[in-house]
Amino acid sequence: MTAAMQKGLIVAVILAVLTVAEYIFATSVTQTETQFIGLAVTAIGKAALICYYFMHIYRLWRAEEAH
Amino acid sequence: MAVAASAAHGHATHNPVRFNRLGLWLFFFSESILFGLLLTTRFFLEGIEREHVDQHLGLAITIILLLSSLTAFTAETAIEHNNQRVANWFLMATIVLGIIFAAGVGFEWKTAEFSRHEAFGSVFFTMTGIHAAHVVSGIGILFLVWIQLKRGKFNSKNHWPVSGSVMYWHFVDVVWVFFYPALYLVK
Amino acid sequence: MYAAKSVSGGIGLGLIGFYLGLGFIALLRWTLGYPEPWGGEINIIGGYIFGLIGWLMGVGMWGIWGREWFGQRTYPRKAPGWQRYFTFNTDHKVIGVQYTVTFIIVFLLAGALAMMMRLELANSGMQFLSHAQYNGTMSLHGTLMIAVAVAAVIGGIGNYAIPLLIGAEDMAFPRLNALTFWLVPPVAVALLSTPFLGGMETGWTAYPPLSVTTNSAQIMFDLGIITFGLTSILGGLNFLVTIMFMRAPGLSWGRLPIFVWAIFATSWIALLYTQGFAVALLLIALDRVAGMAFFNSTAGGDPLLYQHVFWFYSHPAVYIMVLPGFGMALEIIAHFSRKPLFAYRYAVGAFLGILGLSGVVWAHHMFTAGIPNYLHGPFLVATELISVPTGLVFLSALGTIWMGKLWLKTPMLFALAVIFNFGCGGVTGIFLADVPTDIHLQDTYFVVAHFHYTIVGGEIFGLFAGIYYYFPKITGRMYNETLGKLQFWWMFIAFNVTFFTMHLPGVQGMNRRIADYQSGLDTVNLIVSLSGLFLGASFILFVYNMINSWIRGPLAGDNPWQVRTLEWQVSSPPPLENFPTPPVVQGHPYDYGVPGSVHGVFPGQKLGGVPVVGGGGGQ
Repeated sequence: MTAAMQKGLIVAVILAVLTVAEYIFATSVTQTETQFIGLAVTAIGKAALICYYFMHIYRLWRAEEAH
Repeated sequence: MAVAASAAHGHATHNPVRFNRLGLWLFFFSESILFGLLLTTRFFLEGIEREHVDQHLGLAITIILLLSSLTAFTAETAIEHNNQRVANWFLMATIVLGIIFAAGVGFEWKTAEFSRHEAFGSVFFTMTGIHAAHVVSGIGILFLVWIQLKRGKFNSKNHWPVSGSVMYWHFVDVVWVFFYPALYLVK
Repeated sequence: MYAAKSVSGGIGLGLIGFYLGLGFIALLRWTLGYPEPWGGEINIIGGYIFGLIGWLMGVGMWGIWGREWFGQRTYPRKAPGWQRYFTFNTDHKVIGVQYTVTFIIVFLLAGALAMMMRLELANSGMQFLSHAQYNGTMSLHGTLMIAVAVAAVIGGIGNYAIPLLIGAEDMAFPRLNALTFWLVPPVAVALLSTPFLGGMETGWTAYPPLSVTTNSAQIMFDLGIITFGLTSILGGLNFLVTIMFMRAPGLSWGRLPIFVWAIFATSWIALLYTQGFAVALLLIALDRVAGMAFFNSTAGGDPLLYQHVFWFYSHPAVYIMVLPGFGMALEIIAHFSRKPLFAYRYAVGAFLGILGLSGVVWAHHMFTAGIPNYLHGPFLVATELISVPTGLVFLSALGTIWMGKLWLKTPMLFALAVIFNFGCGGVTGIFLADVPTDIHLQDTYFVVAHFHYTIVGGEIFGLFAGIYYYFPKITGRMYNETLGKLQFWWMFIAFNVTFFTMHLPGVQGMNRRIADYQSGLDTVNLIVSLSGLFLGASFILFVYNMINSWIRGPLAGDNPWQVRTLEWQVSSPPPLENFPTPPVVQGHPYDYGVPGSVHGVFPGQKLGGVPVVGGGGGQ
């Protein structure tokens, strides 16, 4: 397994952990404002991870050839 | 006046992959507004209220979609390193996981306790429905790309269709990252 | 004949697709146990989608693009002469002409509908239309005109001129470009079918509950507009990538012609906000077809939700309409004043400022709709703020004209009219932005006069400016200048009499969108109707001039206007990939009179042993 694939696996594991944590957080916290903000922050964090590590958004600014 | 030496060639060399990449991201930008407006509709009509949904099913399909993003990422990374077999296998795995996700949504629809004739139901079915339409079209696109991949059309130098379709798939996952808490978790 | 093969292929496959779609939905409904498998609007939706795909494939998209997705070889169609315009052709110049001609035809058709409205409105009481027929006419007039306003300048003139202005050989995505054009005929079919389905009674704004309960014309409107939104989004995307990545070497952002900046800003607005209309209409369709409850207040929905989502797009939409008009006007004013564009950077900043502010003012269309009071203030302030960047555009225009040597040819007359007309229209907007006055003026003819002044006066006059300006480049021939000037004054005077007068019944409370009104307003309405008909007649002269000159006008040469931008440095019409020698830009486009200044050069292109330096004309 190459280094690049390993990186992907690690990010996926982090995302899975965040998802489960999100679920537990949502079912245990009852205060509506805290819950909403917590869920929003987690969602933005997961989206950022996917955009950076999976979708390679930084390649928009790199003028390289093959990719 | 000095004429720039760099200009003394034929037509400018454009990199089509750069164009395609920017074009696709702009498309994602536009689609985000679509999904964002649906999200806004959900909160406008329902506030932070939510009716009863099947939490275990929701968590399960979310994990499945996440897994499919991992397999898609692996497929793209594989073809970047010219590993055709792995790319092939993992692209098909993505398709299969996508089909399972869609089936899960279908099951949720059949067993939902609320009806589409009231506000929460309208919001729920529309949001999951529009998302599912993107999942299904994503599956279709991935399948067409998979066929080409099997025929050996792509390699480490030329694999934009793989990258593009995988990016589309990740985008669909990002949308779900916001839709899942909004529909299942918010109270 | 390639043209016949394309269009009839499109129609054939489109019809097959339509029936396949109807059948497919019927099959689904039957298997899922719904009653009446064939009897729903949802079948029409399925038929439309399949028919649209069939139409696109048949018109040439399968051969040029579709086959590639299935791993097969694509083949471009080589259609000679005039037949190019009736096939799936990826050349941006062909697409620009296709858009322009199509939208002029739609404009004339929608104008004819307006003439019918004005005939009905010439007197109080009902003349020859029933209320329902009037509503249908009014709605179709509005919808078709909105479509023209949103797409004619950017789709027609923009597509033709932008690659040329930046020194590129085509757009970034030529096949996508062709796709956006060929989506337009099905939209026209969908909209023009509405009179046969009972007529659209809701206006182009399609508010629920009426749009949810009314006849099936509404679903054709929904489908057509969602398709049209797609052309806007994809077109905007194309322009953005083209302008960002395909500028000639040396063409920095600070040297970009102002029309390109205007199209750039417009494209961002189109890309960002158009989904709003699509979402709003999607929700209407779901309420109609699936019995959903988005706008049904007894089931937890809210009709105001529609208005918010709808205006979230439809306010920025007016900037999609007006920015290209401003861009064209400023461009022509600079060249025909033979001066650098005054306050160029402020004009650019103005376009970007309008882009930014356009998305936060939408609720000024809803001041009387029942929105909470605390929303009035912020939306009032934000709306007033938009007059700041707009004012900067005027600063740029007026500063350029000041002490310029004005060459008052027809394009310049139209460009100057844009500034005058939009000045009037913008001022009336202030009364509508202010809540205390808006409460009295909302839904009256004051609003109608305001938006005709801004959109027709700003954008349609800009469209005509662009058509006259680029006519020699596109056709290689010059239009008749005397007829052009005559047409301008005819249109300008008739337009101003019609719409200036229209403010008066508005202030006196005459309701819009109703065919009848209080009899005291008879005289004013008669004046508006007569000058409106007079305005309509001016377009006959326009069409005659265009067709006659295209067929037998005098040859125009490469650069009849002696302008420095890149498109005028190649032949009229330009060759297939625009620039036989790629240009290099070394200066600003408007530095007329500055000694030694040059915009574009063409290194490697020699004439009699001496390197050719383009872009130095008119000094």
